[in-house]
Amino acid sequence: MNSQKKRSPKIEPFRHRVDADPKSFDKSWKKLEDAIREIYNHNASGLSFEELYRTAYNLVLHKHGLKLYDKLTENLKGHLKEMCRSIEDAQGSLFLEELQRRWADHNKALQMIRDILMYMDRTFIATNKKTPVFDLGLELWRDIVVRTPKIHGRLLDTLLELIHRERMGEMINRGLMRSTTKMLMDLGSSVYHDDFEKPFLEVSASFYSGESQQFIECCDCGEYLKKAERRLAEELERVSQYMDAKTADKITSVVDTEMLANHMQRLILMENSGLVNMLVDDKHEDLSRMYNLFKRVPDGHSTIRSVMASHVKESGKALVSDPEKIKDPVEFVQRLLNEKDKYDEIISISFSNDKAFQNALNSSFENFINLNNRSPEFISLFVDDKLRKGVKGANEEDVETVLDKVMMLFRYLQEKDVFEKYYKQHLAKRLLSGKTTSDEAERSMLVKLKTECGYQFTSKLEGMFNDLKTSHDTMQSFYANLSGDTDSPTISVQILTTGSWPTQPCTPCKLPPEIVDISEKFRAFYLGTHNGRRLTWQTNMGNADIKATFGGRRHELNVSTYQMCVLMLFNSADGLTYGDIEQATGIPHADLKRCLQSLACVKGKNVLRKEPMSKDISEDDTFYYNDKFTSKLVKVKIGTVVAQKETEPEKLETRQRVEEDRKPQIEAAIVRIMKSRRVLDHNSIITEVTKQLQSRFLPNPVVIKKRIESLIEREFLERDKVDRKMYRYLA
Amino acid sequence: MDRPRQQHEPEHLGGGGIDVEVELDPEDLQPSVPLKKVPAGDLFEAARAGDCARLALLLGGGANVNERDRWDSVALYYACLAGHADAARMLLEAGAVCAERTFDGDRCHYAALNLRLRRLLKAFEARPPPLPPLPAALRATFLACPANRAAFLEMLQWTAGSEAAALAAAAGFGPTDNPSSTSLFPPDITFYVDGKPIEAHRVILCARSSFFRRKFNTDWKDRKEVRFSSQKLSFGALYSLVHFFYSDRLEVDVDDMENLARACKVCKCEGLQKILIKEATLQRYAEHKSPRDLDSSQKRFILHGQSLPEEDRLPSALRHIFEECLANSREQECYNDESNEMSRDSGVDAAADLYIKVCDKVFHCHQVILASRSEYFKARLSRNMDFLEVKSGLQSTQSLPFLEEHDMSTEAFEKVLEYMYTDNLEHMDPNQAEELFDIASRYLLFPLKRVVADILLPYLEHVSPAELCHWLMLSDIYDVVKIREYCLDIIACNFEMFADTREFRALLLTLPPPSGDDSLRTTRPSEPGTAGNTDQGNLLDDLREKWLEAEAAELDERDESAKLFDNRLEMLMLVAEQEANDGNV
Repeated sequence: MNSQKKRSPKIEPFRHRVDADPKSFDKSWKKLEDAIREIYNHNASGLSFEELYRTAYNLVLHKHGLKLYDKLTENLKGHLKEMCRSIEDAQGSLFLEELQRRWADHNKALQMIRDILMYMDRTFIATNKKTPVFDLGLELWRDIVVRTPKIHGRLLDTLLELIHRERMGEMINRGLMRSTTKMLMDLGSSVYHDDFEKPFLEVSASFYSGESQQFIECCDCGEYLKKAERRLAEELERVSQYMDAKTADKITSVVDTEMLANHMQRLILMENSGLVNMLVDDKHEDLSRMYNLFKRVPDGHSTIRSVMASHVKESGKALVSDPEKIKDPVEFVQRLLNEKDKYDEIISISFSNDKAFQNALNSSFENFINLNNRSPEFISLFVDDKLRKGVKGANEEDVETVLDKVMMLFRYLQEKDVFEKYYKQHLAKRLLSGKTTSDEAERSMLVKLKTECGYQFTSKLEGMFNDLKTSHDTMQSFYANLSGDTDSPTISVQILTTGSWPTQPCTPCKLPPEIVDISEKFRAFYLGTHNGRRLTWQTNMGNADIKATFGGRRHELNVSTYQMCVLMLFNSADGLTYGDIEQATGIPHADLKRCLQSLACVKGKNVLRKEPMSKDISEDDTFYYNDKFTSKLVKVKIGTVVAQKETEPEKLETRQRVEEDRKPQIEAAIVRIMKSRRVLDHNSIITEVTKQLQSRFLPNPVVIKKRIESLIEREFLERDKVDRKMYRYLA
Repeated sequence: MDRPRQQHEPEHLGGGGIDVEVELDPEDLQPSVPLKKVPAGDLFEAARAGDCARLALLLGGGANVNERDRWDSVALYYACLAGHADAARMLLEAGAVCAERTFDGDRCHYAALNLRLRRLLKAFEARPPPLPPLPAALRATFLACPANRAAFLEMLQWTAGSEAAALAAAAGFGPTDNPSSTSLFPPDITFYVDGKPIEAHRVILCARSSFFRRKFNTDWKDRKEVRFSSQKLSFGALYSLVHFFYSDRLEVDVDDMENLARACKVCKCEGLQKILIKEATLQRYAEHKSPRDLDSSQKRFILHGQSLPEEDRLPSALRHIFEECLANSREQECYNDESNEMSRDSGVDAAADLYIKVCDKVFHCHQVILASRSEYFKARLSRNMDFLEVKSGLQSTQSLPFLEEHDMSTEAFEKVLEYMYTDNLEHMDPNQAEELFDIASRYLLFPLKRVVADILLPYLEHVSPAELCHWLMLSDIYDVVKIREYCLDIIACNFEMFADTREFRALLLTLPPPSGDDSLRTTRPSEPGTAGNTDQGNLLDDLREKWLEAEAAELDERDESAKLFDNRLEMLMLVAEQEANDGNV
């Protein structure tokens, strides 16, 4: 039309346009239809975009949008059905390639058609809320091609077959796979999911179910896990190569389930190669792999943890129950420490320092260590051994490290008060005999114990150190004030506060006259400066240095107090019967026997001679000064009393003392609780008392009950008149 | 006969800003004393007084909303200080700068009288009013270049985290990119500063800077890349300048302002340079009052094109290019002469890279501008390489694409080009309106229809009823809502006059009949969004609604009035059919 001509005011009737519509539409549509056919036949170079666009534009402008849209839909369907037939006819391995070629053609055609019909997309389709042209083409491709029965099943089977072959080690055309899955994704994520991903996951589950069954029957645990790890890596790579990234989590979940979760128990418990074997043989790499893989399945880590815990308990139980292994306390504790180091290393290297695993290990150790009620004593003996021999073969840092490790074992003890009792005895012996290697090490140990259990636990132990210091100062004062005799033997007195030191019943023996004299002077001095004090000699402790001559050879003997008393008798007698010695010294029978045995029956140390000759001491023996005694050394140390594993009677005695010491602690706890609560029932008292004391020992409910009865008798508590299980605080 | 009642929509200021949903308490909206009127006041006085009527008049008249007074204060500052929310919103929709990290925005946030005003400022900072169609289209093309897009997103990282996402969304970056937006027109020149690329199109740079125009005709004639190594030119400065060339909106770090001023001097952008020098002096002594301690690298200066003289803005610059385009276009009678002319003309405008033939005239155009403005041209120029035009074009000219458009006059095509280059039509003959509607629809230049409608509307006030029926038909075909509503209003208010017009009666026969579904023929006013309403209205249904609004009795008698109208319409159609039959004889 020529718009330069001025429009006349008269408006012609518009019937002509309406009358011409049907014919003009058909003519225009024919043009578009032919063009679309040429586009699909790769002959677009003969088409005029401008003309086609304008034709479509005019159709939509004159209200033919709906007809155009419907015609387009039918036309696209026709083309796709042709494509569908050619894809269906593709032979064998050409199927995917034909599908891809047609898909590329369709996409290209769609883009061109979309551009030709751009005006319809922007106006008619937007206004009437219809599917845009490009999306319409995709939907039709999905419904007519991808989901047509012949192609749908074949497409899926082909894809899955190729994946299966790749899993079996074959090389496949990954580019073709990528193009095909991308097509499915372009058609919509639900298409990709429903038409490929879901069946792929199902087939994969079946595949890995079968493979895992086969693997588990012919592989050991370590090998199996290696294979599982490799399969996981393969699947992740496959996804990155030709699948949607979101599939990664889903396929690895399948592998996790089929290869790991479903066989977890069997793998972990596998004979000769399972978790226990890995732990025993320190297979760090295998353990690492198991930890990392089982992290991916529910209950994976908790199962490993519980099996490890059970194993540690069992092996620990065997360790603490084997009579052979508990013969030597130091060796016993060293084995415990080695076991702890072993599992700490496994957790550190293979289990990523997992806190849950550390807790499980701690729980297991606590469990089995307390199965042997001699563990507290043995740990104390171990410490005694280290502190006595610290200098030999180790520097201070090493001693410190060992003590730190021992503290870990100490934490596991449920009867820490038993340990305290033994530790006190052993410490006393070390201190009084001067056998400790260094004060710093001793105090360092004390600090650790205080940190662990509080001031109350170590207050008496600290008192022992204070006593030694006080004694040193006192001796200095004593000799500073001493006048007169310079011929008296030199004494060094240790003043031991009652209650701070392990008490042992002691009948004072008769000291030699030379010693009695200086002792009485010290007593007078000490009591003169400390009013109200009482002084009792503990002659079962202590040691002495004695000069002696044997056949003209002078030696200096280091002996215990008892041994000194015995030897001094031979200054005025050549031979003495057992009875004579017992009467002259007043040493208790058991101690005397042990004492005489050290003096007369130890080769190389036999400064006395007894008749008849035998290894044991009997009350019928007679003893003589052994003038034939010889030794290469000038200083001779006669068998010192060292810490020994207790005999059965001694053990019972120690435990009874521990039980006795617990009574006042339980009573104190009961009184504290009732004083604050005023009224409380029986079970609550037991619970509260146990809670308060469990850092030192686990109170026995029966013992608690007895202490409650005792307090009732002493009128600290009374029973409620109405409820016999309710107690009321008095006083 | 009554004078036709004219119902015009209120004029939208600032091109119709986003309707920001900010809660305003009634108490905040009602000042404690009546608002003062300043009928002769300037922009600042109107803002201080909260006189929205005066503000509308001033802004409509082209006042620079970001102008500062003697005390370096902008109008928005006064509105915030005095607590006038309506005035503040009006200024913000007109493009007032309110970003907190700018000098003006910082003072506005500080001075805001209450929390509501601060929220209003925050809302507009996050979602600035949209740019006019031309700069918006060119900006989209600029940011569709990968390097520019990456640099833009990197700059957003400097802003507060929560604001960055909003700014990115406002700039058109969604979480899922639209594939078509990423296939916008590719760049034809890349600059490297500090090793970082800035991608651009020659024609835009030539239009905006005589420096670039000279360089592209001489030193850089055939180059694809240019590397700057000057220490005085920073990437941020050049990026800001080029981005400004495309969008008429400048945003720059305060630290880069001196570098930018120097670049403007080199590029012969005197207007912008002057503003920057003055602003740099001001910024040197400015203190930010924001409670957040911004370091200097986060201070920014924002400038809208309206702050520049008209001749320094994007539409004016491109109008020069457009006029050159017309000057170079000639009527060609002979193919050989055409070829010779093209060879000679390419020396005049190196940036012209497209020939479009309409009737006998060949227009020398610029692909990036046409592709940016019209999806039709974008599809033709960048995507459809298999169709006839491209291949034959390449063969014939050996260098430049050659397109031919049909079914339009050269005069109309000139108008369309003018719109694509300038967002405006300086003059239009009303007789061209129909053709322009057609081309605007075809090229998917929907805003052009509105521009034409605005020019056409005063003319319609003086046309005869017969002509008005013609325009009603056209507006319905081309979906020009403004004209359609206007015509329906006139007809409804003067129904009897039109009923006596033969052309109106003939029109009734060509329209679809009123909807037959009674459920859609409610006699009550329809609520917005009511189910059953379709977007594509039926002309007679709409006319009926308007007649009822104008003439119907009260609600309780509305049904009776509707029936009356329907009967009247039916009688008119019978008369029309009779007239049509008589005409055939």
